[in-house]
Amino acid sequence: MSHDMRDMLLDAAHRIFADKPDNLWAVLQESGFDRALLPESKGGASVNWADACSLLTLAGEHAAPVPLAEAMAGHWLLDLAGVENSTLPTIAPFVLDGQVRVGVAGESPRVDGTLPRVPWGDACSHVAFIAGAGPTAQLIVLARNAAGVSVSRGHNLAGEPRDTLVLEGVVPVAVVPAPCDARELLSIGAILRSALMAGAITRCLSLAVEYANLRVQFGRPIGKFQAVQQSIAVLATQAAAARAAAEAGSEAIDERLATAGQPLTENVAAASAKIRTGEAAGQACAITHQVFGAIGFTEEHELHDFTKRLWSWRDEWGNEAFWSRELGELILAGADGAFLWHTMVPTVSGVAR
Amino acid sequence: MNNLSFPRPHHSEIGERLRTEVREFLEDWNADRHAAATFGDFNPAFSEALGERGWIGMGFPKQYGGGGYGLMERFVVLEELLAARAPMFAHAVAERQSGPLLLRFGSEQQREEIVPRIAAGKCYFCIGLSEPNSGSDLASVRTRATKVDGGWIVNGAKIWTSSAHRTHYMILLCRTAPVSEVRQAGLSQFLVDMKTPGITCRQIVNIAGDADFNEVHFQDVFLPDSALVGVEGQGWQQVTSELTFERSGPDRFMSHMGAIEEFAATLKKHPSTEGARTVGRLVAHLSTLRRMSRSIATMITDGQDAGLHAALVKDLGNGFEQEIPETLRLVMHTEPQQGSSDAYSAALANVILHAPSCSIRGGTREVLRGIISKSLGLR
Repeated sequence: MSHDMRDMLLDAAHRIFADKPDNLWAVLQESGFDRALLPESKGGASVNWADACSLLTLAGEHAAPVPLAEAMAGHWLLDLAGVENSTLPTIAPFVLDGQVRVGVAGESPRVDGTLPRVPWGDACSHVAFIAGAGPTAQLIVLARNAAGVSVSRGHNLAGEPRDTLVLEGVVPVAVVPAPCDARELLSIGAILRSALMAGAITRCLSLAVEYANLRVQFGRPIGKFQAVQQSIAVLATQAAAARAAAEAGSEAIDERLATAGQPLTENVAAASAKIRTGEAAGQACAITHQVFGAIGFTEEHELHDFTKRLWSWRDEWGNEAFWSRELGELILAGADGAFLWHTMVPTVSGVAR
Repeated sequence: MNNLSFPRPHHSEIGERLRTEVREFLEDWNADRHAAATFGDFNPAFSEALGERGWIGMGFPKQYGGGGYGLMERFVVLEELLAARAPMFAHAVAERQSGPLLLRFGSEQQREEIVPRIAAGKCYFCIGLSEPNSGSDLASVRTRATKVDGGWIVNGAKIWTSSAHRTHYMILLCRTAPVSEVRQAGLSQFLVDMKTPGITCRQIVNIAGDADFNEVHFQDVFLPDSALVGVEGQGWQQVTSELTFERSGPDRFMSHMGAIEEFAATLKKHPSTEGARTVGRLVAHLSTLRRMSRSIATMITDGQDAGLHAALVKDLGNGFEQEIPETLRLVMHTEPQQGSSDAYSAALANVILHAPSCSIRGGTREVLRGIISKSLGLR
């Protein structure tokens, strides 16, 4: 996609988010944003993952109450599985070993187990996930209304649906070889969340700056006080770092899928994205709430639209501790005596991988 | 908030090939990697060997002894040297700041005489900015150059000048006109031969026991007209452009790599989940800083102003470096001991003792955050 096309797409999305129409999700679907990763012949825009993540960062900046990340990834997986005409596919990437069993009963496969806290798991039309590791991993698509699917509804702190699906002998719509293994799909999910978080953190910063310049105490805007300025400057460093980490992660997905590059499980940028944005999120929320004082602590004020999402997203699909351990073990798997740096930044010949 | 976005860094095939060469070269050098806590030791033999390879002043034009490479290739070599804790202190300032300054603002004579020697790893610089009564408030410098026939007479003092006692030249910022309403006006930069009569250096020992920095006195020091760098009275503008280089590079977040490496090496022998998590978290920070710093090199290559971006990276880098000893010591306990035979204990001692300087040198944390908040529209 050309730079111009990309800018046009982002501009269009920005206008829609800023308008805040009541039927936001319908408007986004009509414009094809949920299918953005698909080719144009299938109603998509052929965007790469980096551009898709730019769209998500915009959505995060507006705390858009829509399943855009889940539907983008869902449409990508359903297309690979040959499932057409899905209205709202979602994904369930955080499936632990043994949580879901794919067996065979008679001629067709059967799925049993639990998919915990699936985003829009009740409202979706399909849910896609990957089971298994390595080359034998399977991509599985279930229909929400299939027999044997029961739903227990839940929400995250921001009120976004996180519904647990209990599966009893469910006949899947499709079971095909997966494009990546289960652990890599979790990486993708974490990076999509990181992109959303980078947007919400950016918005925290702009809200804080705006408010600090407006709110007058002791006869001057609080933004004139050095103590407040220094806090907001820290917030800006965290916003910049979050954006950079999320962007690096999104590019790693393209490198993996478009050019059959190294698995995301071995990619430093992929694992770093959620660690760095998660850490930035905590600081951003704390600083922004401090700048806003009591008014930001009210339900009436919009600040919590952003901070509650950040507090939820940082613990979804692996938090900082989860990804830090994954990344640490990857780095420490380098040869004995090898520098950590050489594992982190391999040479082209790829000694480490 | 578009000004907070860091563009995608350019990828350099040439740079990636260089990486392999640099790693091979460094293996042969058997540097004392444990001892070096910050930018490595002052080692002219190493600097000259690096110069022979063409790895100093890689971005300088070929006619001035440079490699004619871009900033992305330079970045690769620099980060590899830092990661290996190579003894690069002798040439580092000349390479990073003084060479580029002379190329941009210097006279043709200055460029021809000095820049090729910098690139050869044979000519070292110090930077005369801070004074006993001018630290963060740089515009308040009082060292004065008075115009005389054929040149200038300098009187005053500089302080915290790294390596002044063992470098060949100083880039001196001083006042050439009385203070006016615009405090930043009336400042000029000079190229000062450190052997000039009237200059005395007094070494100052820091809390880690190093005697790197100096108080430098100027008593009736005569500088010829040809020593002026750039335009008289434009010193402030010239020095600010230099600071983007000083603040944005990997030297602002990789000076404590020694401690991380020794921590990881010990952890390979005694694995722990908490240790793995600590390594992962630090690597996530490091890789993000690296991305941002490479992005700034890309911006400078493309002719964009990266002053704010440099301040963001330096502030994040300072915080990261200072957090390293605080994080490691609680995960893997040892008593920090300088010069210990236990490499981790020695590295930890070094980073503990150098950490306070990270958020002071090259712009204090408070000054950087002032720059950031101003650019956000506060103030």
